[in-house]
Amino acid sequence: MLMRTRMMFVAVAILFIGQLFAQTTRTVTGNVTDEKGTPLVGATVTVLGADRKVTATTITDASGKFSVKVSDKSRNLQISYVGLDEQLVSVAGKSSFSVKLAASASNLNEVVVVGYGTQRKKEVTGSASNVKGGDIAEKPNQTFDQALAGRAAGVQITVPSGVLNEPPVFRIRGTNSLSLSSYPLIVIDGVPSFTGDYSSTNSASNALASINPNDIESIDIAKDAAATAIYGSRAANGVVFVTTKRGKLGSGKAKVSYDGWVGWQNAYGLPTMLNAAQYLAFKGQAVANNPSQSAVKFTQTNDAHGNPIDTRWFDYIYQTGISQSHNVNVSGGDDKTNYYFSAGYTSQSGITRKNTFTRTNVLFNIDSKVSKAFTIGGKISYSNELNTAATSSGSLPGEAYNTANLARTGMVLPPLLAPYNNDGTYNINGATIGYANNVSGTSISYYNPVPILNLSRSNTEVNHIQANTYLQYKPVNWLTLKSLYGIDYLLLNNDYFATPITGDGYSTNGSATDNYGQYKTTIWTNTASFDYTFAAKHNVSLLIGNEQQIRNSSGYGLNRQGLSDPAYNVIQAGWVTPNTAGLTLGQNYLLSTFGRLNYNFNRKYYLSGNIRQDEASQLGIKKGVFWGASAGWEITKEKFWTNAGIDKVFSSFKLRGSYGKVGNISGIGDFTPYSTFSSGLYGGAATLGFSSVGNNKLQWETSTKTDFGFSFGILKDRLTGELAYYKNNIDGLILNVAQAPSTGLPSNPPQNVGSMYNKGVEVSLNANIVESKNFSWTSNFNATFNTNMVTALAPGLSVIQTSTSSLETANQTAPGYSLGYLWVVRTGGVDPTTGKRIFLNSAGTPVYYQYYAAAGQYNYSTTADGLTKYVSPTGGTSITQAADAVMYKPTQPKAYGGWNNTFRFRNFEVNALFTYQFGNYIYYGTNSGLHDQRFWNNATDVLTQAWASKGDQNKTYARPVFGDNVSNGSALPIDINVFKGDFVKFKNLQISYNIPKSLLTKAKISNARLYISAQNLAIFTKYPGPDPEVASNGNSTTGQGIDRNTGANGRTYTVGVNIGF
Amino acid sequence: MKTKFKYIMLLGLGLTFFTACQRDLLTPTLQTAVSNTSAFSTVGRIQGQVLSLYAALKNGNFYGGRYVIDGDIKADNFINELSNLVTGADVWNENPTNSATAVLGLWSQAYYTINCCNVFIDGMNAGGTAVVGSTLGANYIAEAQLIRALSYYSLLQYYAQPFANGAGAKPGLPLRLTGIIGTGYSALARSTVTQIYAQIISDLNAAETGLPLSYSTAYNNTTRAHRNTAIALKTRVYLSMQNYASVITEANKIVTATAPFTATSGVANALQANIANVFVSPYTTTESIFSMPMTSTSGDNPGTQNQLGYYFSPSAANGGTGNGEYSLNAAGVIADPLWTATDKRRAFIKTSGGKSWLVKYPTGSPYTDYVPVIRYAEVLLNLAEARVRSTNTIDPQAVALLNAVRNRSDASTTYTVSSFASVAALTAAILEERNIEFLGEGLRNNDLMRLQLTVPAKGSAPAKAATDVGYIWPISASELALNPLCTDN
Repeated sequence: MLMRTRMMFVAVAILFIGQLFAQTTRTVTGNVTDEKGTPLVGATVTVLGADRKVTATTITDASGKFSVKVSDKSRNLQISYVGLDEQLVSVAGKSSFSVKLAASASNLNEVVVVGYGTQRKKEVTGSASNVKGGDIAEKPNQTFDQALAGRAAGVQITVPSGVLNEPPVFRIRGTNSLSLSSYPLIVIDGVPSFTGDYSSTNSASNALASINPNDIESIDIAKDAAATAIYGSRAANGVVFVTTKRGKLGSGKAKVSYDGWVGWQNAYGLPTMLNAAQYLAFKGQAVANNPSQSAVKFTQTNDAHGNPIDTRWFDYIYQTGISQSHNVNVSGGDDKTNYYFSAGYTSQSGITRKNTFTRTNVLFNIDSKVSKAFTIGGKISYSNELNTAATSSGSLPGEAYNTANLARTGMVLPPLLAPYNNDGTYNINGATIGYANNVSGTSISYYNPVPILNLSRSNTEVNHIQANTYLQYKPVNWLTLKSLYGIDYLLLNNDYFATPITGDGYSTNGSATDNYGQYKTTIWTNTASFDYTFAAKHNVSLLIGNEQQIRNSSGYGLNRQGLSDPAYNVIQAGWVTPNTAGLTLGQNYLLSTFGRLNYNFNRKYYLSGNIRQDEASQLGIKKGVFWGASAGWEITKEKFWTNAGIDKVFSSFKLRGSYGKVGNISGIGDFTPYSTFSSGLYGGAATLGFSSVGNNKLQWETSTKTDFGFSFGILKDRLTGELAYYKNNIDGLILNVAQAPSTGLPSNPPQNVGSMYNKGVEVSLNANIVESKNFSWTSNFNATFNTNMVTALAPGLSVIQTSTSSLETANQTAPGYSLGYLWVVRTGGVDPTTGKRIFLNSAGTPVYYQYYAAAGQYNYSTTADGLTKYVSPTGGTSITQAADAVMYKPTQPKAYGGWNNTFRFRNFEVNALFTYQFGNYIYYGTNSGLHDQRFWNNATDVLTQAWASKGDQNKTYARPVFGDNVSNGSALPIDINVFKGDFVKFKNLQISYNIPKSLLTKAKISNARLYISAQNLAIFTKYPGPDPEVASNGNSTTGQGIDRNTGANGRTYTVGVNIGF
Repeated sequence: MKTKFKYIMLLGLGLTFFTACQRDLLTPTLQTAVSNTSAFSTVGRIQGQVLSLYAALKNGNFYGGRYVIDGDIKADNFINELSNLVTGADVWNENPTNSATAVLGLWSQAYYTINCCNVFIDGMNAGGTAVVGSTLGANYIAEAQLIRALSYYSLLQYYAQPFANGAGAKPGLPLRLTGIIGTGYSALARSTVTQIYAQIISDLNAAETGLPLSYSTAYNNTTRAHRNTAIALKTRVYLSMQNYASVITEANKIVTATAPFTATSGVANALQANIANVFVSPYTTTESIFSMPMTSTSGDNPGTQNQLGYYFSPSAANGGTGNGEYSLNAAGVIADPLWTATDKRRAFIKTSGGKSWLVKYPTGSPYTDYVPVIRYAEVLLNLAEARVRSTNTIDPQAVALLNAVRNRSDASTTYTVSSFASVAALTAAILEERNIEFLGEGLRNNDLMRLQLTVPAKGSAPAKAATDVGYIWPISASELALNPLCTDN
């Protein structure tokens, strides 16, 4: 009884605190400026009472002035502004203030976004990195994630191809799953976004493309359990918070700015192929070396002008892509309402013909203080993206072995063939290129890319709507209640047409597939946060909340074949067969409650705890509890530190550590708990067949994350840095565990079986190296050293083999190795006497290989003369990958990071970003094709590097024998096609010039800036392929480090202007 | 007043917090599939499952395409044109590896079919029969048993030594007879060839008892198993086991003693007057005891790179409807001078581009010609061969049976007992007749191997003698990797 009365009293007392303080009041006024005396609009002025209790807040108006009531209990005014150092001034005896805020030397005072709220960076005890919107704007990227490379410690971004709008490989502290997604959770303005490529055509469509990078205020990347646990079952891969721009309260007049650029892009690093004369000579020799292929003949013919045909196929496939981008935004706010509106248009052309990306988008953000206690606001963003391609570029996952693969076609086709016949018609022979005039005795099964580029298409159009609205109620200073409702609707139209005249559409007399897919998220989040300081030094903040998220997906479409008129090229036209395509229907639901408690004592000792309970419909065991705890210690605040004088060097020094358990369910199917029977057809009658094996015991993957480190500032934070050690133990990895095929299961049942860890160290350093009136140099360096190790797979499952486009398997994941290890057959060079490829079998014994074996000889022999039949330790008579391949090299990098420099000299600014990666290897499968001895064209190095005559020492490639696809590595992956992937890339260079104000005022322009920039300007690497970042398997977790028949990457130059009115 | 308002607000928000959850969404309802727990709950679902067993058999990796194709291209009548490993260049070249597309694909599809049959039979016994009634239940189980038997038989033809090699004592297959719907059943050693054959015969005997005599439509009489289907398959199985007496016993159930040979019970199976009619729409003559139906609807035809027409018919440029993957071997059966030019079966051969092509399956993409599983002509020739081999005489009924098949296509040839100088000559003629009659129907390789004959060389592909490595296929690499008790060939 007594207890309850007391509680009641406390509650009532608390509710009336606001009023209690409002006793004898007076009004104080002041103005706030930056160091240069420029008035600061929208600076926050907080009146603090005893124990730092907030009694009132206001913001400065358009001229930087403020006016606020203080009482006799008020002690200090706290004046703060984003990016500047906060100041505390005593109100005692003063009624007018002139406050000058100094530029913050470090980013430690910044506010960072954490789950369901914000926090001062120096109070964060979890591990997080921040990237400013300005760093990623104005770049010729399609999505912001592409631009994060090298900008934050722990973050690895690999752009896998030059195809526009392909999602990058995005990893935070290593790859943290095998079969699920390892892409981090992206939360945009509080709403988890779709990620990945949603296109079902040959053009890529990153779901994040709807966010115009120019609209981004900041990106906060949460890495450890403490920072991510508030996202529970989706936190294992890290959480990335994207905050779009909002207007500033009190900024008065609307600010309008325009940014636009034009650019051009070219492929780089393409291999040099044999020309017609070289091809004739080299392939002629190869035929001469193979008596069984004497029927093969190559003939040079002339084109319509009487010149010998010598086609450089790359010229017909690659192009200089011209791009442009325009963005306009308007922002502003009075003392109650602020807004931000932007419109953007970008039209980009890629390095491959017909590959384009066009986006039109608008964004509107608004917040309005309806009354003292209520704030309402929201956002609406709409984007239309059109992604186009003619056909397979060869660079997207699954395309490596497409016959239409343009990159591959460009390398394979002989220069003797022409795209057009002399009468101007396409040179075709049914589905394939016409070759009868030039090649006989062997057939060419590849397509003429020119008619396909001209007539086919593979486009995806996206309409993406992201909107939210919130109501915030703040009855008293220490309590905030907020309810947010958000939607994310991703609507896609895929439009595929294959011309009937040749290529993929030939056998079906044309083919069209159109489908519509929609993916909808709705989310409703309710939070209550308490922020309270008591006894002067104890700061407590508590957040509790609940959230429900529903995701619906549905799709339907048509696949039609057999054009009824050759002039038709749309699905609505006349066709023979109507088949369904892209039928999908799914739904999942996530119901969560969560909480966070932060406590600090005197801003010296910090404790934080996060907890979340998730219930996910996709799992058999639905409920999971996830948590993270962290602690921090600001040592500079300790007496012994100042007594020892260390504070003269270290302006700040904070130790922190965290531990927790989070989960991963990203990419899990909607109905995995169920074993299902689904419908099919037997001669037109409906069937119901066993189709999928579920697991009603399936649960999330568990990540146990440990993290500790320190951050420091030296010389008044002129140099700041962070060092962290992390370890992430992942258990219960979900694997679709293959059962022996004789069990006859229709699918591999998902099981929580494997385990793996990532551990490492990350370092980041920020320095203002030079700071003077006319010249400054700031530098940011980060490095991550990561070790990945798979520790267990499923019982009975010793390895996971990951194929590239279902054909070639060069990745094998096994316990004791990092994931996706290269698994290839070793070679022992080329025999100098005979020019034969020497393979090493599983035991390391040399085996001589000849493609053509004369009578009495063997293809595989233990002697160079080919007379001794090779018999393997298991009785086989040939070298096979299954028997002889070894775990050869890791594909996971040991270290990666970036180095970013900004130089300012008067009105010039130069920004240079380098990214790097070390310690990984790449299987350059394309290289085997470049040296294949079928009719395929070869790289020019065969002229010098292939064995030609007796005594040729140290040759890379075997004696050319027509038809040989084994010695070069086409038939089985071999070590000569594995190369180090180490690189340093000059990722971005931007030079900008601020037009002097004196010139602008007359034109009524407040600022103007011109810039030129270059992307992928230079790569320093020994990797022989086009780019060590290019990869065949996209975001695949276990299929990294493969460069198989992929296209090149692009180098882009842009010229732009940025104007503020 | 103000305080009261705040309390109301707090209460209101608090209530919405905890009342708006939609917990029912945590257990989603399947809308596009049926859960295994209710797959036997209605008559319609059970009927759908029966047809799904046929659909599994009809898969492009199995009787819808590759099983049949491989039976021809592994043998001697075709020449590989495109050297494409995806379309069986290695099968043709007699050197597929454990992880070859053909080796993996047939193994897994056949066992998927077997498991579906097992799951179905278990489900019927556990309650499905009660839903459909005992008569239909028995019919359905018999259909599953027949499909299971045919699947095991088909696997034996590629992955195990012929019965003749060691009288069935060689390693056969993992024998699975219980439905598997979860993990933990991978390990199982191979039973012997004899044990597998015993199971096949047991299933076919049971099927013969359980199957209906006939269906009400010609379509069902061809696309679903009836009693004569089980009997016809038994003649094939016993022939492979070289149990000629049993071939005769079974065949006699559905073949009259004298010409015209017909089945007098069950479906009135008989030869058609013109073989061409067997391979044209509606494909449901009484000669087609069992065929795989196709329609142009996606998923109801063999699918990419599995279609017989795609492999055997020349490309459009050469006047065909296929991809010209395999031409006819000029030195193969088409060179046989006794296969006269006027033989109607020569109409299945098209010459273009200097090569001969098989156009028995002429319908182009998406290749909807029915694929024959067993025809009445085979039963006649099975019986003929069994009679010759078991009597070791120039058996008059055998000659009559042979003549029935030959003479309907080649009016110029009429065989009589005096046509054959020896028993061996008659045996050879029967084998050659099979070679002609079933060209492109997947029987050739099995015919060579059941007799342990050398597969002749063709083009650049080597000959394979019964003692050579590679005479039979290696075991699926996936099976070896995941089934610790399974051994390779």
